[in-house]
Amino acid sequence: MSEERNIEIKTRQLGVTFKDNEGKDVAALTGVNLEIYKGEFITLLGPSGCGKTTLLRCIADLQKPSEGDVHIQGMTPKEVRLQKKFGFVFQQPVLFDWRTVKKNVELPMEIMGYSKGERSDRAMEMLEMVGLKDFANHYPNQLSGGMQQRANIARAFGLDPDILLMDEPFSALDEFTKEKLHEDLVRIWKATNKTILFVTHNIQEGVFLSDRVCVLSPHPGRLSAIVDIDIERPRPVEVKESTHFNELVTKVRNSFEGGSV
Amino acid sequence: MEDKVVLKKMGRRKKLRERIRENPKWQKASTVILPLIFGIILVGLWQGQVLHRLFHTDTFTLPLLDKIGSIMADNKEKLLENTFSTLQVSLMGLVIGSILGYLMALLASFFPKFGQGGLAVIGAFASIPVVAMAPVFNNWTKDISRDASFRSMISKTIVVMLICAADMGLNAYKGLTNLKPYALDLMAIYASSRKKIFFKLRLPNSIPYVFSALKVSVPASIMTAIVSEYFAEYITGVGRQIRENIVLAQYSTAWAYIATACLIGIFAYAILMILQSIFLKRYH
Repeated sequence: MSEERNIEIKTRQLGVTFKDNEGKDVAALTGVNLEIYKGEFITLLGPSGCGKTTLLRCIADLQKPSEGDVHIQGMTPKEVRLQKKFGFVFQQPVLFDWRTVKKNVELPMEIMGYSKGERSDRAMEMLEMVGLKDFANHYPNQLSGGMQQRANIARAFGLDPDILLMDEPFSALDEFTKEKLHEDLVRIWKATNKTILFVTHNIQEGVFLSDRVCVLSPHPGRLSAIVDIDIERPRPVEVKESTHFNELVTKVRNSFEGGSV
Repeated sequence: MEDKVVLKKMGRRKKLRERIRENPKWQKASTVILPLIFGIILVGLWQGQVLHRLFHTDTFTLPLLDKIGSIMADNKEKLLENTFSTLQVSLMGLVIGSILGYLMALLASFFPKFGQGGLAVIGAFASIPVVAMAPVFNNWTKDISRDASFRSMISKTIVVMLICAADMGLNAYKGLTNLKPYALDLMAIYASSRKKIFFKLRLPNSIPYVFSALKVSVPASIMTAIVSEYFAEYITGVGRQIRENIVLAQYSTAWAYIATACLIGIFAYAILMILQSIFLKRYH
């Protein structure tokens, strides 16, 4: 890549310690040093218990680190959060049952105090982007799981955040829906030029989507390796059949420490 | 060949039955039609004195429906007067109690440590039987006014209030705190103030719980008002009239009041259902 790579997020010796039921300290995450570039699609990959979600939550200021720190555009995560520069897609869609899909997408804009017209226009734009325009006035319970997750993504893009954090957003979806959403997500990412941090435990998913894959290992959660995914974009689905793709999958798999999980 | 025809017919018949059963129109209508059929059968059994034979009783203790009806028509004014008295107590108790209950739930959600304890205490209070509570509040309120009808009404209202407050408090607390996973994280990502979290998330989340509280407390408020009347100082209300007339062995008149009490309950519940269908339309 010839363009200059600006570092957007930087973690330094980041660690998080929880207390377990017996009051003993458990290290969820230790010594994470990571630099994430602006406009990059980066995946945090690992088995459960490796601290990938914890790392994401630290960056989003939903979790306070026990040691080390995070810098985002030269600010603390809290400052960035208060400036509403994050979009977050949770494992579950978290749509409010009493709001239509459109009203759900408008929620962050309501909180920000956008005018009614502005909210409505922007929400429709976002819904069109994720292919839910015709379902704007439906209620969440009338949508399939995949559609709910699309609405969730539309909401996260609504405020035009600099950084999009996605915590296993597709793990509850079937393969077909997942593949379609992968395609859409990459298209939207390319169009909007956001920095995306994507958490998953699915190696193929991580390799297919990302510029780089950060491999995390459990007990204690730590960053074991960063694998560059040098597959040309755009990546058609058939890329998954290629030798190079499978080599990268193997490379990622072999980067886990601590043996089989 | 014949077997085939029979099989085909059976298949079609079964299909038709299933089709009717699965038809949403029928499903909707059946919630009205089935109870109605049950009601008509009951009326028939009652008026035909089958019930009397079944329960070994006579038309003096269990008067026929037309008799009850004619007494109701003859005593319209007195019935309305007592209905008003009962409704006044139950409605006031319901409204004040439910508002207090919701406020307590709010307080409890702001200060969870004290709140949950407080709600538990109120819940315990409300589980005291009305027959035990009513005389206590009669005694408490005996000095608040010289007007026996007024202090009697206050005493009854307090009992209703307590019951409704507990019911609303416990349910609304659940509604204010039982949020979807990550809902609070979502609000945090957008740096929402506590006020916005309340109005955009907690308050709307609690509405279905408010209705589940009302589904219990609307009938309970009428029931409690009626039972409290038994113990009240001042003789008024549908419940009290049931008692007075039974004491005087005027069973037909007592039954007229029992029927009135049923009608009040049914109407109150119907109104609640209509309100719910309006307010919960969006909740699915």
